Amino acid sequence: MFYFVCALYAEAKPLISALSLRKDAFSCPYDTYFSEDSSVVLTISGMGPIAGAAASSYLLTRFGFRSEKDFLINFGSCAGKDPGLYLINKITDNASGRTFYPDMLYDLSDCGLPSSSEKALVTVPRVVSSLEDPESLYEMEASGIFQAASHVLPPHRMLFLKYVSDAGVENAKAVTAEYLSSCSEKYLPAVLSVLKKLEEACEEKPSIDEELLLSTSYALHLSETLRFELRQLFMYANASGKNMEKILNDLDADGKLDVSSKREGKVVLDAIRQKLI
Amino acid sequence: MQSGKSLFNYPFSHIYVEDSVRDMELTRSILARFSKSVVIPINHYKDVFNRSRQSFGLQKSSQALILAKNTGESIFPGAPVCQDFGYDHFYYASSIRNCIFDCEYCFLKGMYGSGNIVVFVNLEDTFAELEALLAKHPVYLCVSYDTDLIALESLTGFTARWAEFTKNHEDLTIEIRTKSFRKDIYDRIEPCDRVIFAYTISPDEIIEKHEKRTAALTERLEAAAYAMKKGFPVRLCFDPVIYCENWKDSYLSMFDQVQKHIDTHQLKDVSIGSFRIPADYIKKLRKDFPDSPICQFPYENRNGVFQYSAALQAEMEDTLVTKLQSLVPKEKIYRIDVDE
Ligand code: SF4
Repeated sequence: MFYFVCALYAEAKPLISALSLRKDAFSCPYDTYFSEDSSVVLTISGMGPIAGAAASSYLLTRFGFRSEKDFLINFGSCAGKDPGLYLINKITDNASGRTFYPDMLYDLSDCGLPSSSEKALVTVPRVVSSLEDPESLYEMEASGIFQAASHVLPPHRMLFLKYVSDAGVENAKAVTAEYLSSCSEKYLPAVLSVLKKLEEACEEKPSIDEELLLSTSYALHLSETLRFELRQLFMYANASGKNMEKILNDLDADGKLDVSSKREGKVVLDAIRQKLI
Repeated sequence: MQSGKSLFNYPFSHIYVEDSVRDMELTRSILARFSKSVVIPINHYKDVFNRSRQSFGLQKSSQALILAKNTGESIFPGAPVCQDFGYDHFYYASSIRNCIFDCEYCFLKGMYGSGNIVVFVNLEDTFAELEALLAKHPVYLCVSYDTDLIALESLTGFTARWAEFTKNHEDLTIEIRTKSFRKDIYDRIEPCDRVIFAYTISPDEIIEKHEKRTAALTERLEAAAYAMKKGFPVRLCFDPVIYCENWKDSYLSMFDQVQKHIDTHQLKDVSIGSFRIPADYIKKLRKDFPDSPICQFPYENRNGVFQYSAALQAEMEDTLVTKLQSLVPKEKIYRIDVDE
């Protein structure tokens, strides 16, 4: 699942229409849009680091984030020297001076984001009229989003994609909604191809048969400590390609699972361990 | 997949450089080797290395390099789970954190929150710290403890510098442990009886399945034999001994290989120890690597150290020690006993 945070509707508009996102009908503190299969959720945060942080927290707590499957993407405009779409590898919060680093694990060069498109970004509290450091990008939400999201997300599950809309302006209104949407539209193919590529980056973790574990624990009258030991045996069976269900069935066929006390249950636990090692 | 491109960036595609070391010679020489990498200036290595919720496993697929200055201590007392080989003052030095190899059971996965590699480029400060310690007493120091120093030699040159430093400090003995195949180091440094090269020796089956990116058994043995030929003291470490279903056959055929390549009577010594790991490390490993049979093995927790059951441990180690005694004098065999 992809979670998008965009500061302005104008930035999000091309994504909303390309991904056929529908507005959440429930009353929400933030305008939120869904894809039909719920694989994409997008929230409009409003401008500023606090707005970005609050909207990210809302998004992640309301919809639940699976750190082995999902990504949070902050997509939007920024001020910079050269036009283009950039992947952010360092975020500095101008107000506090703190720096944050999303992990740069994925090779997105075939999505139009080669390593030369990586840049450092500075989050500022208000629109900049000029570029203090011409090599950096300037915007208003990323540090807030990173800080809020990093309470639940690993750094490799956050992506900051920023396009340059201007080189600094005196008045925010100078950059019109139409212009921002047209910039977003321009970089849409790259963003969509990032989504396609990152679908591969799903870290499916093996899981054990919890029902079988629970029923076996009860049948064997196991205490909490021994239940924990049995769980570890299930984990080991899984990791080493052994069939725990068959081991239990074999013991059952021999009448060994029919126990009436914790002490007898422990004997069976040892028998399971012996069969595994 | 959209194209033939890998999902992950290549190793060291990203190099984080602390501002304080940007102009140091070693930093410049490392960066010159990776001219295509993205260089990201940082204030302090911990801002990157100590971030919360990093994935050690995924970072190993696309390791970043961090060049930093160690401003704290870099020499620490040896852990009780490690063999001290009879030396009284046993320490380890941490000049590089993490390793380019990827052993399934590596304790660094429990020790550090990040799989990225930190190179502390100010090795001379570690030398100064060590000299202060040497003024108090002799020191036995493992310098390749939380990395594989030889594997990173072409990048850092640290092995050669440690060897040189040790040669000039007669109260210092160092151990450089490795799973590398590289022999070229032995042509570039002079032998010293206090610079011990220690090869971790495992059966090929264990290497292939559980010690990713490391040298094959014959490559390690050939490198060890070459070091001996050049006059360096060599130690073989049958440690960790890892349980697998056919452990006896695997380990016994490994000894055939050892005999084939090494004049075992010329070895400085050997160590033997079954896999063991502190309780707080295994907790993290089990959470992060649910599909690893080594991490998920139902070990016994004895005095805060997770180990094989005493019976299995004794069976494996006794078998190996018996075999070893036919190859090496008894007094050269060091057996690890963490229950002591
Ligand atoms: S060689 Fe040593 S330090 Fe490197 S991964 Fe393997 S166990 Fe860890």
